[in-house]
Order: sequence, then C-alpha cells, then structure tokens
Amino acid sequence: MKLFRTFSYLSTSLTYLLIFIGGMVRVSGAGMGCPDWPKCFDRWIPPTNISQLPDHIDPAKFNIVLAWIEYSNRLFGALVGLTITIALFLAIKYFSHRPTIKWPLVIAFILTLIEGWLGSVLVHTILNPITITLHLLLALIIVMLLLYAAQESYYIQHPDSEKNSKYPSNIKWVFLVLGFSLLIEIIIGTEIRGGLQMLRKENPLLDSNFLLVMLGPFKYMHTILGIVILILSIFLWIKLVKKAEQPSDLVVQSSSLILFLIFLQIVSGEVLVFVKVKPIVQLFHLWFAAIIMGLISVQYCAWKKSQSYYE
Amino acid sequence: MNKLYLYILALLVFMGIGASWVIEKANASHEIPIIKKVPNFNFTNQNGELFSHNQLKNKITVLDFFFTNCPGPCPIMTYNMKSLYDDFSKSDDVQFVSITVDPENDNIKVLKNYADINGINDQRWQLLTSELSNIKSLKRDGFMLFADELPQGHAIKFILIDENGNIRKYFDGTDEGSLTILKKDISNLVKSIQNT
Repeated sequence: MKLFRTFSYLSTSLTYLLIFIGGMVRVSGAGMGCPDWPKCFDRWIPPTNISQLPDHIDPAKFNIVLAWIEYSNRLFGALVGLTITIALFLAIKYFSHRPTIKWPLVIAFILTLIEGWLGSVLVHTILNPITITLHLLLALIIVMLLLYAAQESYYIQHPDSEKNSKYPSNIKWVFLVLGFSLLIEIIIGTEIRGGLQMLRKENPLLDSNFLLVMLGPFKYMHTILGIVILILSIFLWIKLVKKAEQPSDLVVQSSSLILFLIFLQIVSGEVLVFVKVKPIVQLFHLWFAAIIMGLISVQYCAWKKSQSYYE
Repeated sequence: MNKLYLYILALLVFMGIGASWVIEKANASHEIPIIKKVPNFNFTNQNGELFSHNQLKNKITVLDFFFTNCPGPCPIMTYNMKSLYDDFSKSDDVQFVSITVDPENDNIKVLKNYADINGINDQRWQLLTSELSNIKSLKRDGFMLFADELPQGHAIKFILIDENGNIRKYFDGTDEGSLTILKKDISNLVKSIQNT
C-alpha cells in the first residue's frame, strides 16, 4: 500500500517535470526537432552527426540541439508512462475495492496512451496548434488524477487527517467554477501563444511584441478571466482558512500557495504582454498554472474528506 | 517545513537555469554555416532584363531550378515558392530566383507568361534563362547539383543564399516540414542584415 503511494507521488512529480520539459520544447521551437515518430531520423538514438541521416529525410531538417530537446521529451514521457503503468498495477492490486483510487489511475493510464498518440499526431501534422493545446490539457488532467489518487490513498492510511477541521459545506461549486475557469484560462493562454505563432507564420519578419498588438482584444480576455480567478481563489481562501475551524496544515498551505502563485502569474503575465515576450517567463507562466491546477485538486480532495465525517 | 521550501526554491532555480541554458542553446543552433560563394553569372529575366550575381547582394535569396513544361515536382515547388513569395511580400530584403533548365523552350515570352499565370507581378521573383551550357555549369559547378539529363534531372532543392552571395543551406522544395525551417532561416538572416 505504501508502495502505491510512493509510485503515485513519483508519477505525479515526474508528470509535472514532463509538463515543464514539454513547455521547454515549445518555447525553444524544438517541436519538429525529430521529423518522424517514435524514432528520431529513423533511429532510436537520435543522430549526432549529419552523415547518420537516412536518405529519405531532408538533411535541412537536421538540428542536433533541437532533435535532442524533442527526444528528451519523448524519453522522459516513456519513463512517466512506465511509472503510471506500475502505479496502475499497484492500484488494482491493493485498491480494487476503492473506486476513488482505482478509477483515477485507470483513466490516467488510458489518457497517457492517448497522450503518446497525440504526440505522433503533432509530428505528422507539423505542430497543429489545436493538437498542441490538447496535448497540454491531457497532461493537466492526468497529473490531477494522479494527485487525487495519491491523496486518497494517504487518507486511507491516515483517516483522521481532516477530522478536527470544519469547513463550510456549501462550497463545492467554488472548486468546480475555479477549476473550470483555470482550464479555460490555460486554453486562452495557449491560444494567445498559438495565435502569435499563426501571425508569425504570415508575418515572419515581425517582432513578437508587435504581433501581440495585432492579437487585439484576445489578450484582454486572458487578463479579465485572470481577475475572476484571483477573486474566486481569495473567496476560497476566506472560506477554507478564515471561516473554517481548525483548518488542516495542508489546506492552509495549499490555499496560501495558490494565492501566492496567482500573484506571480499576474506579474509574469503582464511582463509577457507589456514588457517583452521572453521564453523562460512563458515557460514558468504555464508551469505555475499547472501547479495551481494541482493545488486546487488537493484543496478539493481535503475538503471532501472533511465532509465525509458527517455522513 | 522551512527546509522543504528551501529545497523547492533550489529546485526552481535549478530548473530556471537549466531551461535558460537549453533555450539559449536552441537559439544558437539556428546559426547556418557558409557553404561557398555563388560564382559569377549573367542571365536574363522574364522581362528581358539582365540579372547577374550582383543582384544577389544585400538580399536574402531563395533559388531553385525548374522548367515550365515540367509535369512532376515543379508545380509543387512553384506552389511552395509562391507561398514563400506571398509570406514575405512585405519585405524587399527577400527575393526568389527560379532558373529554367529548358532554355530551348523557356524563352522570355514563355517565362513572362508563366509569371503571369502564377501571380508574379514584381521584381521579387525572377525567372531566369540563359544558354544551356551556362545553366549547366552554374548548376553543376556553382551549386554542386546534378546537371546531366536536363531538363528532367533538374533537382528539387531550394537553395538559401545570403546577402553576400554565399550559399548557406539546401532544402527539399517539395517537403512542407523543410519549408517551415526555411522560413525561419530566412527570417533569421533578414533580421541579421537589418541589425547590422
């Protein structure tokens, strides 16, 4: 049982790292670093020299740096897939009677398979923007499922974790609205980036900052929804920390961390829009959004646990 | 607990430095080496004007070999060249050059007609002709491409030439993935002339 928790935490953190690496592929423009899939230039180990290329692939496509960036994403993806598979086996072995653990793992496993397939679609469609967004969304859903299952298994071994805490009972809708808004916010965010990419395709010589102006009101939607998310998370913080009786450390810390990260998101977002589109800022902007998503799942799971004592 | 935060902070710093390093490496990897200089040539374009190696100066050029009656890959190459021509329509720093490998048929009038059909209406895309022997030697010795059995054996390469008339890179002119890279490379070269 402990082994399951180890593996579910491991797969959660590795998936977060993978999301980071995936973002790195995106911001460094390495998505087509390997023009084929699953092999890279027809090799299981990407070529280190142009002479190793097969005849049917145009040597102009070869860029050793981009190839290895893209391939590290695939290799790491394979590793994550393996840990999720092991976690699934352990879940079925120890928790087949616990639907809140078994099913998240089963779904996460299936989505991981789809995620791999989407990776191949991306290469074949030369980075279709909608597929890129879908590729990210699935990763977010997978990481939330893994986190949820890990937390549930923790509560089985520590059933009294939320026993002394009393939170308002009628706030389920806040979690739902907040999670959903965040998902939409991430989609709009990637669309801004995708939109930039499309504009750049048509105006290859223009600067990113200039292209942002061309995007027009779209980027304001991202800001407006961001403010809504900020208000909702402050509201949730009041409910879970201020209005609660003896809130658990986990809830207090995750609620505060969400507020702190949203503050960082607003700062980094405004830097991107008004100062300069910097790849490293883009990368962390996205990754922090993924972390916030996970923290909301943690809050929800803890809140749900606290409610279960009254049933 | 404080220790944990310290670890997380260290991890974040480490990730930030690592990612910056990778992004920098990726940016630097777009540098394209110089292959060789394009030799001198004096050809004629679709308007009957002279076009020589001097016209390669101060512009980024994409060059290919084609012929108007070509049934095979040429229409795809022309289509792809046209999309580049349209994409860079706002820039005078980029030009396109297509040299016929069938000068017997492709005289100035035929080239002009081909230009009209394909919507080529300015100086940014030059269709060139000359004597077959000149074309052959430019292709074989200048661009190091196969030049026997013309016009059929005309090669499908798009050749990227910089503002000093240096050959920088060869691309498969029929492959969409290669063209995405070509476009990026053109943009990078143009930005480098604009910055100097």
